[in-house]
Amino acid sequence: MVETQPSLAIKLGKLELPYPTLMGSGCYGSGEEFAQFTDLRKIGAVVLKSVTRLPRVGNPTPRLVHTPAGMLNAIGLQNPGIDWYLEHEVPKYGRRPWRVIGSVAGFSVDDYAYVCERLAARDEIAAIELNISCPNVASEGETFACDPNLTAKVVRTCRGLTDKTLIVKLSPNVTDITAIAFEAEAAGADALAVINTVRGMAIDVDTWHPRLGNVTGGLSGPAIRPIAVLAVYEVARVVTIPIVGQGGIETTRDALEFLLAGATAISIGTANFTDPRVPERIVEELREYLLNRNLASIGEIVGKANVGFATAHEYEGDQG
Amino acid sequence: MTTLDLPSRVHATLVTDRRELAPGVVLLELDAPELAAATLPGQFVMAIPPSGEAAATALGVYEAEMRRASLLFFITGKRTRELAELHVGERLDVLGPLGNGFDLSGSPRHVAIVAGGVGIASVLLPAQALIRAGARVQLFYGARTAALLVEAQRFADAGCEVALSTDDGTAGYHGYVTDLLERSRKHDVVLACGPSPMLRAVARVAAQIGVRAQLSLEETFACGVGGCWGCVVPIVRTSAQAPSFPPASEGGSDVVNARICKEGPVFWNDELRW
Ligand SMILES: Cc1cc2nc3c(=O)[nH]c(=O)nc-3n(C[C@H](O)[C@H](O)[C@H](O)COP(=O)(O)OP(=O)(O)OC[C@H]3O[C@@H](n4cnc5c(N)ncnc54)[C@H](O)[C@@H]3O)c2cc1C
Ligand SMILES: Cc1cc2nc3c(=O)[nH]c(=O)nc-3n(C[C@H](O)[C@H](O)[C@H](O)COP(=O)(O)O)c2cc1C
Ligand code: FES
Repeated sequence: MVETQPSLAIKLGKLELPYPTLMGSGCYGSGEEFAQFTDLRKIGAVVLKSVTRLPRVGNPTPRLVHTPAGMLNAIGLQNPGIDWYLEHEVPKYGRRPWRVIGSVAGFSVDDYAYVCERLAARDEIAAIELNISCPNVASEGETFACDPNLTAKVVRTCRGLTDKTLIVKLSPNVTDITAIAFEAEAAGADALAVINTVRGMAIDVDTWHPRLGNVTGGLSGPAIRPIAVLAVYEVARVVTIPIVGQGGIETTRDALEFLLAGATAISIGTANFTDPRVPERIVEELREYLLNRNLASIGEIVGKANVGFATAHEYEGDQG
Repeated sequence: MTTLDLPSRVHATLVTDRRELAPGVVLLELDAPELAAATLPGQFVMAIPPSGEAAATALGVYEAEMRRASLLFFITGKRTRELAELHVGERLDVLGPLGNGFDLSGSPRHVAIVAGGVGIASVLLPAQALIRAGARVQLFYGARTAALLVEAQRFADAGCEVALSTDDGTAGYHGYVTDLLERSRKHDVVLACGPSPMLRAVARVAAQIGVRAQLSLEETFACGVGGCWGCVVPIVRTSAQAPSFPPASEGGSDVVNARICKEGPVFWNDELRW
């Protein structure tokens, strides 16, 4: 007896993916680094490390600190700049069996527009993520994700430059993430990535020095999962576009939490540092989960947490 | 147990022996034929914590022969504590071998190996390989105190001349291990692994006595495979890295950030700009 396999396929705007699992920006290189440890054909897409207009040196070391149930990082957007990237890196991506999504970071609307347009023009790049939420660059970059007007301006500008799926990555380091999410959708985002890392700090009590070269960093891993699930849940109440949930997903149960909270896809970052086979395992187990519950597709569980969702666009900003 | 269905560098190993060499110093012996066969001197593995609750840990491969590979580590925190609690017969998954090991080419005749503390874990394989190739190997091995000078006899048995030092004078020379190197002055090359201050001292002494040194560096790793850029060190750009590496400082200099896990962990002292 051949049962039809449940479908794990999802859509983010125009982008169709066979699996709902993305690899978080900055955590997975271009995918190649992990090819010897897992089957990359089982990965929905790899979000590439954020790239900026000019090359960036990044922060001094130590850039990483292991913390309870997670880690702090302060890489500082080290990258070779868009010119070098397009010439030397991007050509390699077309020949690989997994999709890559470009990630854009910047310090002005102009920067975002410049990098977004050039990256989006390339066939090898399946979609564009706007990282308006990197916490490790002296707070300049973060101002975008902290200000609804700036968010709207960046997204609207980039929207005008490409037809490719535009994912906007939001920061948890704000008072009201829904206000930003609402503006991002209104300005033309096709999907939202929720969330980037949570600002954090660790101090060495023997030397009295901060444990990161950059003093502060971004917290990721299971430590931030409840924060991220809440953010997805809240954002799902105010937007109709798909959400890529992320923050501490390590197991299939974690992934399911995000889907139930309202995410269409999930992204895995820090868990790859524990075991690069996690994404492959989650795909297999999600399929089993659907099969066991007689569900035909992953979409059937999205937003099904038993809490009651407001209808889309009900949100009208702060009530004062 | 089989490793056949796994991609080439994931190994499901079995713990075949576990010994506490000193308080807080553990030697785990693994049944890991493919890893043992593939490991080059100075390479490391990422050990996946059995609970899955913490990040993987970078550990040098201490021994590798026949089916056996072993890991020698200090219990310094949560992840190494979890590895130390493994019992014989339990499974430990490791990724590897990773990184580039020591460059043993050029048929050196006289080699100095400097090991500080747990740095001893990465220098047995190069010592054995060099001795097999006919070199005379002198090991300078330093630790905080005598109890932490583990495995010195193992190196002597392998054919190394061993000189010991301790910070507190409880065994060997009372002082820094690099003082011993400074007095020797008769080597073709120096290999070193240990804490950063020791490696910096080795680099300085090597430059003084006119010998090139290879240093196995350490930094906190996340991925261990070159995917996150968390473990960088500034080095002089080589043709292999040009122009793929972001500059290490503003202003387009020829110094770039290399990843310790991918381009290292072993670097020549004269390429480092740290
Ligand atoms: C290439 C490479 C090879 C290595 N090979 C070996 C090896 O063969 N054997 C070995 O023993 N180690 C080796 N290491 C080091 C090993 O990976 C680390 O010691 C590991 O991070 C320990 O993990 P942990 O969670 O047990 O300790 P962690 O909690 O990560 O602690 C590690 C160290 O950080 C410091 N630290 C921890 N917490 C704090 C705090 N709250 N405040 C201040 N300082 C703190 C401590 O000094 C401690 O010694 C290697 C590292 C690299 C990069
Ligand atoms: C080492 C590291 C580097 C990261 N670099 C980037 C980056 O360049 N751009 C970006 O948008 N997010 C970056 N992130 C954030 C992740 O993509 C992800 O959103 C976050 O870590 C939460 O998910 P996780 O808990 O699964 O890691 C980085 C995270 C880590 C741990
Ligand atoms: S630890 Fe990720 S690049 Fe080295």
